[in-house]
Amino acid sequence: MTALTLPARAQRVRGVVRRDFAALRRSPIRMFEIVFWPTVELVLWGFVTLFLQSQQVPFVVGFLLGAVLLWQVLQKASNEISIAFLEDIWSRNLLNVQVSPLSSGEYLLGLMLFALGKVVVAVALMAVLSMLLYGFGITAVGAGLVPFMALLLVMGWSLGLVGIAAVLRFGENAQVIAWSLVFVAQPLTGIFYPVSVLPEPLQAVAHAIPGTYVFEGMRTVLSGGAVPWADLAVAAVLDVVYLAAALGVFAWALRYARAHGKLSRFGD
Amino acid sequence: MVHLLEARALTKRFGPVTAVDGLDLTVGPGEVVGLLGPNGAGKSTTLHMLLGLITPDHGSVELFGMDLQRHRIEVLSRINFAASYVDLPGVLYVQEILEAYADLYAVPQSRVRDMIDLLELGRLRKRRYMELSSGQRTRVQLGKALINEPDLLILDEPTANLDPDAGDRVRSLLVRLARDNGRAMLITSHNMPEVERMCDRIHFMAEGRIIASGSAAELTTSFGADDLEEVFLKVARR
Repeated sequence: MTALTLPARAQRVRGVVRRDFAALRRSPIRMFEIVFWPTVELVLWGFVTLFLQSQQVPFVVGFLLGAVLLWQVLQKASNEISIAFLEDIWSRNLLNVQVSPLSSGEYLLGLMLFALGKVVVAVALMAVLSMLLYGFGITAVGAGLVPFMALLLVMGWSLGLVGIAAVLRFGENAQVIAWSLVFVAQPLTGIFYPVSVLPEPLQAVAHAIPGTYVFEGMRTVLSGGAVPWADLAVAAVLDVVYLAAALGVFAWALRYARAHGKLSRFGD
Repeated sequence: MVHLLEARALTKRFGPVTAVDGLDLTVGPGEVVGLLGPNGAGKSTTLHMLLGLITPDHGSVELFGMDLQRHRIEVLSRINFAASYVDLPGVLYVQEILEAYADLYAVPQSRVRDMIDLLELGRLRKRRYMELSSGQRTRVQLGKALINEPDLLILDEPTANLDPDAGDRVRSLLVRLARDNGRAMLITSHNMPEVERMCDRIHFMAEGRIIASGSAAELTTSFGADDLEEVFLKVARR
C-alpha cells in the first residue's frame, strides 16, 4: 500500500513540521515568545550571578547561567510539543488531523522535530546573549554539552507527551497539566543547586529523574571535573524508560479518548 | 454489489445513553447516501465511528474491504471528511493549509494547484484562513477534503453555516463531483432540498437506529408526505 511506504510516512511527518512552521511564521507573537522568556530568564539569573559575585559568595560563575540554558532545553522541549498539540485543539483542527492517514507515531515525531527546531533557536540565542552580557560561553561545558542537551530534550519530550495524554484523558481543562508538568521536576532535578541539599527521600526521587544527572554533570564539568559518562549512561537508560512510558500513556489516553467519544468533543 | 463502506451492527453507548444502536450502513461506488434525523439521533456519532474517531462498543466497519481498526492508515488515505464544526488553522494562508494537507495525505503538491483551480481559490491563496467568510472557508475545507481524491467523502452538515447563495454553490460543486467524477459520498444535513437534490439513497435515523430508508421519492410515498421535509417532521415527532 502506498500509504505505508517510507516516503509517504516521511511526507506526512514533513506535513506536520511544515504546518507548524508556517503557523509560527505567520504569528509574530509566537515568534516573539521564542525570544522573550529565555531572554527574561537569562537576564534575571545573570544579575543574580553578578550580585552573588559582588558579595564574594564562593561559587562557580557558570553554574547559574549554565543551569538556565539547560533548563530552557528541558522546559521548551516539554512545552513546545504540548503547545503544538493544543494549537490543533484551539484552532478546532484536531479532528481533521485525526481523520488523516497520519499515524500517532508520525504525528508525535513531527511535533518533536518542530520542538527541536524551536529549542535550537532559543538556546542559540541565549548562548549568544549569555556571552555578550556576562562573558559566559556555553561551550565551557565542553564535550558533555551535546549529550546533556540530548538527554534533556528526550526527558522534555516525555513530559510533553504525558501532558498531551492528560488533555486527551481529562479534556481541555487539563491544559494546566500540560503546561506545568515540567515545573514539578524543577525542584527535584537539582537545576540550580546540588541534589545533596535535598532531604534524603527526595534525593532518591531525584536520582530517578534523567535531568538530575545532567545538571549534576554540568556542575562537575564547570568545577573542572571530567564529563561523568557513567552517570550520563544512567540518564540515557532512564530517558528510554521515560519515553517508553510516556508513549504508552499517550497510546492509552488516545484509546480512552476514542472509546469515550472525547476526541470528537474537541471539535465542538 | 461491492461496497466501499460496510458497517455492521454498529453500537455505541455513552453511559446510560445508547447513541447508536445496531446500525447497518453501506455506501457503494459512486453512490451519494444521506443520513438524516433530528438532533441527537446519532448521525455524527455514526460518522465519527466510520472515521475512527470513536471506537464502537460493538459491530464492525469495513472500508474498501479492509477493517478500519486494523488498516487505519490505508483506509484513511482513501477517504476524507469535512464538517461545519471543524475548522482549519486560522493563521495560515489558504495555500499553506492545502500544502500541509497534501503532505499529510502524502499526495503530490501539484494537487494544491488543482484544488485552487477547482474551488476558485486563486484570489484567496495568500489570505489567512481566519480572514475568510463562511462560504470561502467552506470552499477551503472542501479543498482539504478533496486533496487526496478520496474514493469516499464524508460530510457532516457541509452547508450548515452558509447563506443560500454560498450553500447553492457548494451543493452544485458536490453534485458535479458526484456525477462527473463518480465520487461516493455520505452526507448528513438538515437541509431537505439539498438532500433531495444530491442523494441517491437516504436513511432516516432516530434514537440511534435507522428507521426508514429509500430514495427521496420512495420515502415521501411511504410516509404519505408531500416532500422530504414533511417526512423529516413525521420522523422527528413520531
